[in-house]
Amino acid sequence: MRKTVFQRISAFLLAVLLMFGVTVNVSADDSDGAVDFDSISKLLDADSYSVYKQTISNIINENLSDVVINYQMSDAKTVYDTFSKEEWSSWEGMTEELAKESVYLSSKDLGNTTVTWQFNLTSEQAGRYYIKIEYYSCNTSESSISSIERKLYIDNEIPFSEASYITLTKYWTFNYSQNEEENTHASEKPVNTTVRYETKKGDDAGYYKLVEKTYADGYVYTEKYKISQDINGNSMAPEMVQVPLWQDYYCSDSTGYTNENFQFYFTGTSHTITLEAQKEPVVIRNITLVPAPRTMEETPLKSYDDLLKEYADAGYTQASGNSVYEIQAEFPNFVSDSSIYASSDNSSSANYPIDASAQLYNVIGKNSYGTSGQWAAYTFTVNETGLHKIAMRYKQSALEGMYICRTIKLSGGHYGDIPVVPFAEAYNTRFDYNKSWQSKYIGDGINEFQFYFEAGVEYTIYVEVGLGSLASLISEVNDSLNLINECYLKILQYTGNDPDKYRNYRFEAVMPEVLYHFQNEAIHLTDISARFEQLCGTKGSHIVTLDNVARLINEMGAENGLKIAEDLSNLKSYLGTLGTWVNNSKTSSMVLDSINIVGSQATEDALPRANDNFFVSAWFEIKSFVYSFLTDYDEMGLTQIPDENTPSIEVWLALGRDQSQIWRSLIDSQGSYTDSTGIAVNLKLVTAGTLLPSILADKGPDVYMGLASADVINYAIRDAIIGISGNDKNNTEAENAVFTTPNEYVASVTGTANGVFSEVVNDQTFTAAAMNTITIPSKSVDGNSYVNVTYGIPMTMTFNMMFYRSDVLARIGASIPNTWDDVLALLPVLQANNMEVGLDYASSINVMIYQMGGSMWKYTDDPAYAGSRIGLDENVALEAFEYVCRLYTDYSFPVTYDAANRFRTGEMPLVIGGYTATYNQLTVYATEIEGLWGFSRIPGYDRDGDGVPENRDTIGDVTATVMLHGCSDYNAAWEFMVWQTSSEIQSTYGNRMVALIGPSAKYETANINAISGLSWTASEYAAIMGQVEHLSSITNYPGSYIIARYVKFAFLAAYNNSEDPIDAISNYISAINSEISRKRQEFGLNTLENDSDYPGLQG
Amino acid sequence: MSQKTATKRPVQRSEMSKAQWTWKEIKRNKTAYFMVAPFMILFIIFTVFPVVLSMVLSLTDFNMLQLPHWLGTENFSRLFLDDEIFILACKNTLIFAAITGPVSYLLSLIIAWFINELPPKIRAAVTPIFYAPSISGQVYLIWKTLFSSDSYGWVNATLMDLGFISTPVLWFEDADYVMGLCIVVALWTSLGTAFLAFIAGFQTIDRSMYEAAAVDGIKNRWQELWYITLPTMRPQMMFGAVLSITQSFGFGAIVTALCGFPSVDYAAHTIMNHLDDYGGSRYEIGYASAIAVVLFVVMITCNIVIKRALSKVGE
Repeated sequence: MRKTVFQRISAFLLAVLLMFGVTVNVSADDSDGAVDFDSISKLLDADSYSVYKQTISNIINENLSDVVINYQMSDAKTVYDTFSKEEWSSWEGMTEELAKESVYLSSKDLGNTTVTWQFNLTSEQAGRYYIKIEYYSCNTSESSISSIERKLYIDNEIPFSEASYITLTKYWTFNYSQNEEENTHASEKPVNTTVRYETKKGDDAGYYKLVEKTYADGYVYTEKYKISQDINGNSMAPEMVQVPLWQDYYCSDSTGYTNENFQFYFTGTSHTITLEAQKEPVVIRNITLVPAPRTMEETPLKSYDDLLKEYADAGYTQASGNSVYEIQAEFPNFVSDSSIYASSDNSSSANYPIDASAQLYNVIGKNSYGTSGQWAAYTFTVNETGLHKIAMRYKQSALEGMYICRTIKLSGGHYGDIPVVPFAEAYNTRFDYNKSWQSKYIGDGINEFQFYFEAGVEYTIYVEVGLGSLASLISEVNDSLNLINECYLKILQYTGNDPDKYRNYRFEAVMPEVLYHFQNEAIHLTDISARFEQLCGTKGSHIVTLDNVARLINEMGAENGLKIAEDLSNLKSYLGTLGTWVNNSKTSSMVLDSINIVGSQATEDALPRANDNFFVSAWFEIKSFVYSFLTDYDEMGLTQIPDENTPSIEVWLALGRDQSQIWRSLIDSQGSYTDSTGIAVNLKLVTAGTLLPSILADKGPDVYMGLASADVINYAIRDAIIGISGNDKNNTEAENAVFTTPNEYVASVTGTANGVFSEVVNDQTFTAAAMNTITIPSKSVDGNSYVNVTYGIPMTMTFNMMFYRSDVLARIGASIPNTWDDVLALLPVLQANNMEVGLDYASSINVMIYQMGGSMWKYTDDPAYAGSRIGLDENVALEAFEYVCRLYTDYSFPVTYDAANRFRTGEMPLVIGGYTATYNQLTVYATEIEGLWGFSRIPGYDRDGDGVPENRDTIGDVTATVMLHGCSDYNAAWEFMVWQTSSEIQSTYGNRMVALIGPSAKYETANINAISGLSWTASEYAAIMGQVEHLSSITNYPGSYIIARYVKFAFLAAYNNSEDPIDAISNYISAINSEISRKRQEFGLNTLENDSDYPGLQG
Repeated sequence: MSQKTATKRPVQRSEMSKAQWTWKEIKRNKTAYFMVAPFMILFIIFTVFPVVLSMVLSLTDFNMLQLPHWLGTENFSRLFLDDEIFILACKNTLIFAAITGPVSYLLSLIIAWFINELPPKIRAAVTPIFYAPSISGQVYLIWKTLFSSDSYGWVNATLMDLGFISTPVLWFEDADYVMGLCIVVALWTSLGTAFLAFIAGFQTIDRSMYEAAAVDGIKNRWQELWYITLPTMRPQMMFGAVLSITQSFGFGAIVTALCGFPSVDYAAHTIMNHLDDYGGSRYEIGYASAIAVVLFVVMITCNIVIKRALSKVGE
């Protein structure tokens, strides 16, 4: 066939165009949300520490000494420069000298987030070093409850993959000390120390720990610790406080796969060490290079046997069985993480203390105390010098057939001030699996450990979570999982997600390495399983998972991969199982009841009782069962019975039980609402939907927390909710006065001048978009005009953001799309790899209308007619609707999809979804891709095609705290609302949620100031704030429920029946408008029979 | 007859007013009234009263939160004259009722009859299999998985495999399919209480009647069914019919569960859905009550018609 010149040229041009279309790479318009894929690729390619260690293993250290690196102030500022004198001088342990030489590493915007240290080494100094960081866990406005996380770069490169998660712990303590007087003999050693635990009833009801110290001259000092109780005798959480402290940190593995500290090799030239903020601010005084042992094989730790020999040589003897110090685990002196706290466990009647009628705190570790590096610390003093054993009563029932490990660290006396691991085996302190409680002397399975303690000296024992002897095995499974996942994605790109099982794909020719890996990993996993069995002594169901995966991939790797097509979907679910397996194995949680320090001569009889006999436990169960009928759960956390005379308000919320308890404790805690106002709060947890009938029956609350914006408006236009911006015709004069008169308490909470509505709710705390959703026009007090009235204070705000798989995008060479054009340009590449983009059509239509500059409503500037006409028939809205429809009809975006699952497998590397909902789901559900994904602002609409979006708004929606008509005390209710939505309380609440439920309980506060106090990483925070600046919202005017319905109908008509999108939506415009008019008539609002009726259009 | 009653002349019905007579009868049967009281009190409070209340509310503009205003028959005139979607909902409901009512009724009857012919042990095993879908609550959601709109949905994946379609069909969001699918699901779940009643009814029939009939000249199984089996179990059939009617007119929850609310383009919108729409999302309880009253009248009428029709069985 002959081609004309024109055809050739046009074909060539087309090809060039396509090429550019595919590789179009738009630079991000500004820094936030932009992700440097180079660094991700580097990180993905970075070796693990074990490989890095191999490369430096032949270097021998000779005559090295410590190298102290002080910061040369250039890009970052010192504490002295960043904060005022009043601020830093209030920090405990901070002096002027220290403040001047320590650098402040910000996590958000108080200073530089990336800080570099420069230093030179001479050629004699070259060698392997540990990196020691002297840091101060400060408590500034940027702080939240997270641990401090940094990325470590050496000479501007991440030396090995583990270095991107450097975790520095904070110290947390509890406010249960009750000591009235000073210990006058604090510097002396007590001759005798006894410890008692008791629960008291009556006036000073509580659960007490009493440490009695007798000194040589007969002086007795009693340390008193108390966990207080509510009116029903339930323990109440003592307040948790972060202790700012100077500490030393040796760079080590936060994942727990490696027990030893990291060694780094430095040549004899100039170097840099850079710390990049991930979470939390920190103050660093200096970094020290501490020489590692001479050769790689040497370890700085002694073995247990050597230590025992040393003890014997030194003449240390076993202490008698009388030397006992009992530690109840619910009284930790310090913990490393705010998520570790005491709780109540009534699963065994042998737990101490126990009460069938109440929840007494008696254990620790029920919630989360299972992540590597977390610890709880207890101080103790023994009465006899000599060797002691440590007995623990615990329940480890999480992983069937597996044991878990704890690392025992000690400080005080001859152990020194910094906690040390006394001998190598202490890393492997082993706790076996058993369904019921166990009571044992701790050891590594071979020896029962003995420790040397001196009488009268105060020691601290740190019970730290570690993977111990299982670390290397779990790490191998993890590597294996990554490799198999890579193979899976390779197959997926080649065959698609639904391969034809009757076709021969010739895997042996196309991807022989995949077959090789499958067979290899099958052998590897079987071997790991066997080693697990050997270590644990039994093959529990947990370990069998590995064999199952091995069997499957062995089958897939055999016969030239003929089975691959058939088994691919199985492999997908097995990968998920394996990911969960690794995650479960890493979280080695156990519940701890007591730790007893006992002289080594003690026998098994000295152990605390593990379980009661059948009759005792049965009787206890029966009692608990009966009491469960008698407990009033509404009273949980009440410290005094509210009497008739104290003012009180009734607050309802329809969240979970955990959430309700956090609010209860926030309301009651010291210096908080009830304490400072004297107003009792009757907090009730109700089921959603209770509010409506309760209003009808006139039994409603004063304040309701977390009402969806659509309901706020629904109730408001029916006169059930008080307009809190004042000047509302439906409000009484007294009600209106509350929001416009100065209010001292409110002013003290918000820091604004006088606490009137206009100052409490301002641009700095809530976005305009958030306020929009709960604000509609209402008749003003004089009844003549319409004014915009707000019906609540926003509590939560949700909006969509774009989640991306950075590893997948980096591999296919794509960048994060900045505009919708970028998304479309990316599609051919994605589709060629059998990948998709996850986008919800309903929200996208709304987003696109606003991004293109349209609006869902007309005449919004005129309160009398706002919301009387839909804006969907404007050209720009029609264009937006058509644009979104085309994404699904022309570009085959999937309409229905399981986002989390496909994101996890990598088939859907871009998903647009609610920022906390998606984040939380991925955090729990897709642990194996942790660190491989992120989120950024959603793409924007770029009308002029210059690659920079003109508008990148997304739609926000809120739930609000509202005050109901019939409220008994407006002032009290208003004060409560302002307190509850204030920045400090919102971030405290969000942090408590994370502490209680885990990192998957991120809270979407509507208070913008509060977001910085939540535990987002620096980059996540920047991304969220980047989107918060670009928010629109759609007001729920009367009748707005009809819009989503008809827009959906129109979309489905365009999608299913290939109707023209503009025709499809136009068909419904008049139906929408007439429904809106009808609804407005119902409420006596102005209506427009047709648009020419609008006063603004006439004349 | 005892001395006492003999001396006293029995009261005649004609000697007293109707109210007096009723009161006297009540006193005479007070034990019976006492025994029926617990049920009647609850029945009146929770069934009769709400029905009456909704009839009253249907004449107002009650919105759940504010005091209602009297509207007279405005709601009804709007319902019939100015609400196209109600008319559409009526059409859909009638289609549902016309198909699922009789079909499920006959299906129940025929399957019950077949099962009745099986040996007792097999019958005991087979009955639960047919009955299971209706007792297992929301198990019809399995259809949502089967006909998922996702390309990984069973039907979509299979059809795509076989090459019939290239992009996934949105089964429950496509006006062409929703009605048909909902009817199929409704039939699948309909073998419920009526079916059990039939099985029980078949069991109660006295075998000797068949023997007598055989002597009297019954020729085949059909005649046996028509002249003996069915007339004997007329009460169960009545019960089943009432249930079928109520079920098919009250059909709506399944549509919402499968197709979302409302179904696309109101393609499977029933009167119950319409009622939910006004009562739930629009807070127009007055109007919703009017819909409920209409539905109530339609159901009552249908029941009367069915009753008449059933009395012809065996004649």
